[in-house]
Amino acid sequence: MNAGDVDLTARLGPLVLKNPVATASGTFGYGLEFTDYVSLASLGAITVKGLSLRPCLGNPPPRICETDAGMLNAIGLQNIGVEAFLTEKLPELHARGATVIANVWGDTEDEFRSVVERIGDDPRVAAIELNVSCPNVVKGGMVFGNDPAALGALVSAVRPLARRPLIVKLSPNVTDIVACARAAVDAGADVLSLINTLVGLAIDLETREPKIGFTTGGLSGPAIRPVAVRMVWEVRRALPGVPLFGIGGIETAENVVEFLIAGADAVQVGTASFRDPGLAGRLVREVAEWCARHGVQRSSDLVGTLKTRPRAEHRYA
Amino acid sequence: MPVNETLRILRTVRYDAKHYSLFLQAGRVGPATLPGQFAMLQAGDGLRPYLRRAFSVADVATLAGVPCIEFVVRVVGVGTEALGRFAEGTPIPVLGPLGTPFPIDDLRVSDRVALVAGGIGLAPLVLLARRLAERGVPADLFYGGRNESEVLKRPDFERLLGAPRCRYATDDGSLGRRGLVTDLLQAALDAGTTYRRVFACGPQAMFRTLAALLARTGTDASFALESEMACGFGVCLGCVVPGRDGRFLTVCKEGPCLPPSAIDWGAV
Ligand SMILES: Cc1cc2nc3c(=O)[nH]c(=O)nc-3n(C[C@H](O)[C@H](O)[C@H](O)COP(=O)(O)OP(=O)(O)OC[C@H]3O[C@@H](n4cnc5c(N)ncnc54)[C@H](O)[C@@H]3O)c2cc1C
Ligand SMILES: Cc1cc2nc3c(=O)[nH]c(=O)nc-3n(C[C@H](O)[C@H](O)[C@H](O)COP(=O)(O)O)c2cc1C
Ligand code: FES
Repeated sequence: MNAGDVDLTARLGPLVLKNPVATASGTFGYGLEFTDYVSLASLGAITVKGLSLRPCLGNPPPRICETDAGMLNAIGLQNIGVEAFLTEKLPELHARGATVIANVWGDTEDEFRSVVERIGDDPRVAAIELNVSCPNVVKGGMVFGNDPAALGALVSAVRPLARRPLIVKLSPNVTDIVACARAAVDAGADVLSLINTLVGLAIDLETREPKIGFTTGGLSGPAIRPVAVRMVWEVRRALPGVPLFGIGGIETAENVVEFLIAGADAVQVGTASFRDPGLAGRLVREVAEWCARHGVQRSSDLVGTLKTRPRAEHRYA
Repeated sequence: MPVNETLRILRTVRYDAKHYSLFLQAGRVGPATLPGQFAMLQAGDGLRPYLRRAFSVADVATLAGVPCIEFVVRVVGVGTEALGRFAEGTPIPVLGPLGTPFPIDDLRVSDRVALVAGGIGLAPLVLLARRLAERGVPADLFYGGRNESEVLKRPDFERLLGAPRCRYATDDGSLGRRGLVTDLLQAALDAGTTYRRVFACGPQAMFRTLAALLARTGTDASFALESEMACGFGVCLGCVVPGRDGRFLTVCKEGPCLPPSAIDWGAV
């Protein structure tokens, strides 16, 4: 089989993508910054930086630091605002044939509602992704994402206004990811994305200060991949019919395949785009090649095919 | 327009245990680079270091007839350590040229400018000196380092600008005046020299002193800033500095070369 013969279509409920490789919010700008390195139209989808009702300035620096096999960030959701995005960025993204996911957030339920309302039924937006999980704002995000009841209430409030497919992006900073997933789906989410960053802390030993101005930051990169794969698998097992985006530390075609096997219908490439801005485009081809080499006709045939062994009870000597 | 390409190491020249020059094939990055711009280099394909590292393009020239880009590097951690140990011929992923260059298009032969370097901040000033020399714009160099052996690329500066135009300050007095580079510039300004523009690169403390000094004298300036960077091309928003207008400025895109008057030094 040739790579060209592999069917890469990814079906996530109402959202159908030409392949399972998308990009993650906050790591792909507004997409247009990448046109020198990758053809936007070749990607399954691009997810833009989290949009708020009004432009947001973000946190004072330092905002990032490298950690082992990853990084911490507390950008503070700096963005140009939904209005500027729709008028200044979306037309060109559309002209370039990009499948656009608008990631949105708000400090309050009302703000979430207003952003979603502003997008309305704009057909140039393939889907809306609610960021209920950003750990970097003092109020808002975290409150919704960490509590299934609050999350369910938010999604219920937004759902009637969302006239495009609705994705809810979950926080991993919870004790029971399945409870959050269930709350989002019961409230009307079409698709779930997981995971956002894990809250971490890095310390400068000389000054004994946090390396990041916000004190804590969100951990991303290969360091978090096993956690993300585990959470995708748990949600897939509990809610087998719910379409999932897997996110976390994806760097190679093998990483994509691992997420598909765990139960993701598609993936989003995050921090790795900083290391190599052309990566997502290359992964589309490499996933097809992997499938061809392994006799997999449709990449969707891999989804949720994890073979688990029964877990043994622990025994004492 | 930045290029994402892989360039081979032509040569590594060590100055001392902590400093070296890395010469790469020029590729498409070299000819496109303007003074003050930088490139993101990946040091190995492992996970340590994980992200690319930012380095000013120090020079674009030829090495034994082969077009090359030169980076001058100070070893401060895992990435700068690793980059210095690769063998000749090792392919290095390079993204560049990136960022806003030093503003020089409006300068004329009748103008006089100053170049102020602190420590490893000499790097972007070599290519700047080369371009100014080509255009016949007279430039004075003020270069401060810890000691004589940490003052790098002196022959290049002195050839490009003329030795009498190059002044040095060292902490131990082993080269030039004992003291700070900003004292050297202050002395020149006090003696009545006026500069059309001051170009500077160095540590935070130098920038601060210089910004205050230049604000007092109302001298136009461009500083090549540094910051921790994840992407280098304006998408992570991790590299910002606080701007005078309350916004945050991306060092990688709106910078690295910024007028000091655009920055809120009190909040840095
Ligand atoms: C636009 C730009 C141009 C630069 N040009 C040069 C150059 O020409 N020559 C040169 O030697 N260095 C230059 N630097 C600094 C260089 O990028 C850092 O020294 C390098 O990233 C450190 O990597 P490391 O893995 O060795 O250190 P790490 O192990 O990552 O860190 C060691 C120490 O360096 C600090 N550090 C890390 N990254 C940076 C950074 N980007 N800027 C400043 N400090 C940092 C850390 O806080 C830590 O204290 C430049 C930086 C920028 C942003
Ligand atoms: C610098 C940075 C900014 C981010 N901004 C956002 C954001 O605005 N909205 C959001 O939902 N997720 C944001 N994320 C989270 C990523 O989309 C992704 O979920 C996370 O980084 C894990 O994937 P990775 O390990 O591949 O990076 C951001 C991540 C990083 C590193
Ligand atoms: S380094 Fe990413 S925006 Fe500047």
